[in-house]
Amino acid sequence: MKGWLFTLPWTLGFCAFFAYPLAQSALYGFSNIRLTAAGRKISPVGWDNYAYIFQRDIYFMERLRDFFVNTLFSLPVLLVFSLMIAMMINQKIKCKGLFRALFFLPVVVVSGPVLNMIISEGAASIPIIEQYGIYGLIENFVPSMIAAPLTYLFSQLVMILWYSGVPILIFLAGLQKIDRSLYEAALIDGASAWVAFWKITLPAMRGMIVINAVYCIVFLASSEINEVIALIRSAMLDPNIGYGIASAMAWVYSLSVALAIGLAWFLLGRAPKERATHAVILLQRRGLDAIRR
Amino acid sequence: MPKKKRKKARSAVTINPAGFELGQLKIYAYIVPLALFMLLPIVYIFNNAFKPLSELFAFPPRFFVSRPTLDNFASLAKTTRQMVTGLSRYIFNSALVTLAVVVFTIIISSMAGYAFSKLKFKGKNALFEVNTLALMFVPVAVMIPRYLVIDRLGISDTYFAHILPLLAMPVGMFLLKQFIDQVPDELIEAAKVDGAGPFRIYAKVVIPLVLPALATVAILAFQGVWGNIETSSLFTTKDSMRTLTFFMNTLVSANASVAGQGMAAAGMLVMFVPNIILFIILQSKVMNTMAYSGMK
Repeated sequence: MKGWLFTLPWTLGFCAFFAYPLAQSALYGFSNIRLTAAGRKISPVGWDNYAYIFQRDIYFMERLRDFFVNTLFSLPVLLVFSLMIAMMINQKIKCKGLFRALFFLPVVVVSGPVLNMIISEGAASIPIIEQYGIYGLIENFVPSMIAAPLTYLFSQLVMILWYSGVPILIFLAGLQKIDRSLYEAALIDGASAWVAFWKITLPAMRGMIVINAVYCIVFLASSEINEVIALIRSAMLDPNIGYGIASAMAWVYSLSVALAIGLAWFLLGRAPKERATHAVILLQRRGLDAIRR
Repeated sequence: MPKKKRKKARSAVTINPAGFELGQLKIYAYIVPLALFMLLPIVYIFNNAFKPLSELFAFPPRFFVSRPTLDNFASLAKTTRQMVTGLSRYIFNSALVTLAVVVFTIIISSMAGYAFSKLKFKGKNALFEVNTLALMFVPVAVMIPRYLVIDRLGISDTYFAHILPLLAMPVGMFLLKQFIDQVPDELIEAAKVDGAGPFRIYAKVVIPLVLPALATVAILAFQGVWGNIETSSLFTTKDSMRTLTFFMNTLVSANASVAGQGMAAAGMLVMFVPNIILFIILQSKVMNTMAYSGMK
């Protein structure tokens, strides 16, 4: 009973401004909405809106595909970069706090209107890449299927690195939980730093990698410069397309994002072999704790 | 405390030296350029605001300002002085709305997070699942239905229209619940034995322990509301009820003229100042958020 009381304000707000609008938009996805002087006219059309998206709309499916291909390419870059930075910050160096703050800074800056302006002024691209004609090089030597996302990756590199603030923090949290004496033990057994990374750090970071992958997908999918969202937004206000179809688009998009997250979870989260090593590490850790006590 | 002992033991086995050594140089060689790279957006904002028009439109665009002026700020001030609605009104609106959203989001989310984490009640899991699902949803999808809700509640053109829709922040609730999960049950049991009710436990035990997480949620909530244009453009019709962000944004889009760009650059810096102040105040707390999550 007390529980209900505590959640009441949150539940009320959530229902009014999230759950109910969500249900409403699901309903709109199956209807045709016309805004007239007399008010909204809603007529049910069944699956027509979805049929329109999949069969007649030329832009939406293309952008949706582009988004997922681009995410597929930028996600590994983002994850590897964040892990590298997190590992470097986690070393015993001076001014640790300062570096942590610096890498988190873009999260504070690069949001909302500021981000739009930086992009529109072209400050988020690297001039050297264009100067040396790397795009041309890529397009000449790489099959066009991969070339497009590759050029996208290069053009978005700066943005992708700016996004790394939160993933770095999450990785840092994971790294700090690894017992340092594990590395010590590995070192005594003759393992190089390289081997220690693959055998200790990476298996221990598996959970964090999954969390980060999910976070990054959600972040990229709902970022303000996302082209699919821009398309849905413009479709919403376009009298030829209308809110019904735009709602259907939003649902198709959301469901595909959820699918992508499920896929990432499935691919990265489950690995029986690695789990075994993790268990070994846990056992070792417990043993060490026992010895210390 | 065994914790202290453990810390001592750990520092005894660390390989790294306490002071500065040559071996660290290698790491600095990587990390310093990258850190500077992270500073670029801020450097850019500052430089841009002080660029004279000729430099703003220079091609190829230059990153650093060579002849800084205050022209952009002057033209911004001049434009705002000619406005029907004074700048102070927008600032007041923004400050009020931002403050209300941040404070209430923290209260509401932490209360809900506490209940979801530590209290037992019917439908708890189902409700939390719905919240997790909502995390993945595109905000655009609920734009118009939200407008309809606001319209039906009769709160459009009031401050409530700015504040209420932003209070239900699924990410904030989710984060706080995860952190409150880490608070040991024994602590709460002990408080219960001492005769504390659920509210007392929430206020005196849980909240002090998750302060770092609250700081993180505060920053997230602040960003959600400070940069928000939607509530102003959709839920209000009167100019006097709109926020500073909305006003700055209209400056950029309405004055597509040459002078508009200069004003936009100056406005960007003005808009950015609260962000950086809040970050400086809360940064140590945010950084600790993750470290505290290792609470055992």
